[in-house]
Amino acid sequence: MMRRYFLLIVGVTVLALLIPAAVEACPSCKTIDDPIVQGFKWSILFLMAMPYIVSGLIGGGVFYVYYRAHRADNRKSPSNIKGV
Amino acid sequence: MMVFTFRVFSSILMNELDHTSSEPVEGDNRPLSNARLAVLVLVAAEIMFFAGLIGTFLVFRLGSVTWPPPAQADVRLPIGVTGLNTIVLLLSGYTMLQGLRAIRHDRHKELKNWLCVTGILGVIFLAVQGSEWVRLVHHGFTLSSGVYGSVFYVLIGCHALHVLIAVLWLLAVFVRAIAGRFSMNHYVGVEVCAIYWAFVVVLWPLLYVLVYLI
Repeated sequence: MMRRYFLLIVGVTVLALLIPAAVEACPSCKTIDDPIVQGFKWSILFLMAMPYIVSGLIGGGVFYVYYRAHRADNRKSPSNIKGV
Repeated sequence: MMVFTFRVFSSILMNELDHTSSEPVEGDNRPLSNARLAVLVLVAAEIMFFAGLIGTFLVFRLGSVTWPPPAQADVRLPIGVTGLNTIVLLLSGYTMLQGLRAIRHDRHKELKNWLCVTGILGVIFLAVQGSEWVRLVHHGFTLSSGVYGSVFYVLIGCHALHVLIAVLWLLAVFVRAIAGRFSMNHYVGVEVCAIYWAFVVVLWPLLYVLVYLI
């Protein structure tokens, strides 16, 4: 059963790679030479990436601040020194 | 968006007032205060707001064969003056940072000087932008001058509005600095203002390159 699902997934992936036109969902993306389609494509990619960039930067910043504070606490605390 | 912005500003103000009126609560040693976190969330929301505007710009810019569109082909944006203005704004980012460093080392007079210089640079930026807008409007390039006019005035106008808000915020911080409300141990008011200022400063070169140069 698992083998059948695996083969199905591999088959669909190979089909998508070999014939990309057959799996394009967006009808306007078929005419990729059209400038307005290019405009929409780059705009969508940009807007898709932004939430990840913003949450990554700010979340990463907050994580770093907490990580730095935690490390500083560990340095100060004598109980964390071996043999004390 | 407006309601959210108002709530964030009011929460920052209340947080700051609470801290100035009393000593820090014992045991409250969080590395990131509520005010700083609130400003970071506000900046995240602002980035998404500008991302939407830039996304719209990309659709129109990449979607047209010629840019500016043929109807506005005679419009010449002030690239040189705005380039110099970009340097002014970047310089204000540096002076704001120096102000923050000054209060971290408990140098009050230096803080006031740096805040004053930052505010003046911000006002110069706005004044130059305003004068260039007046010149463009006199040449017949307005908000209703097709897609080019709409995109230009909305993107640049929104940024100018944010710089204006940042200048007003800076003015409030400056008044509090004169009153001696900040110290080496309590400078969250300066810091949150610096975060917002950094946002408007960092955003501008990107907008300048997109709208004026590309």
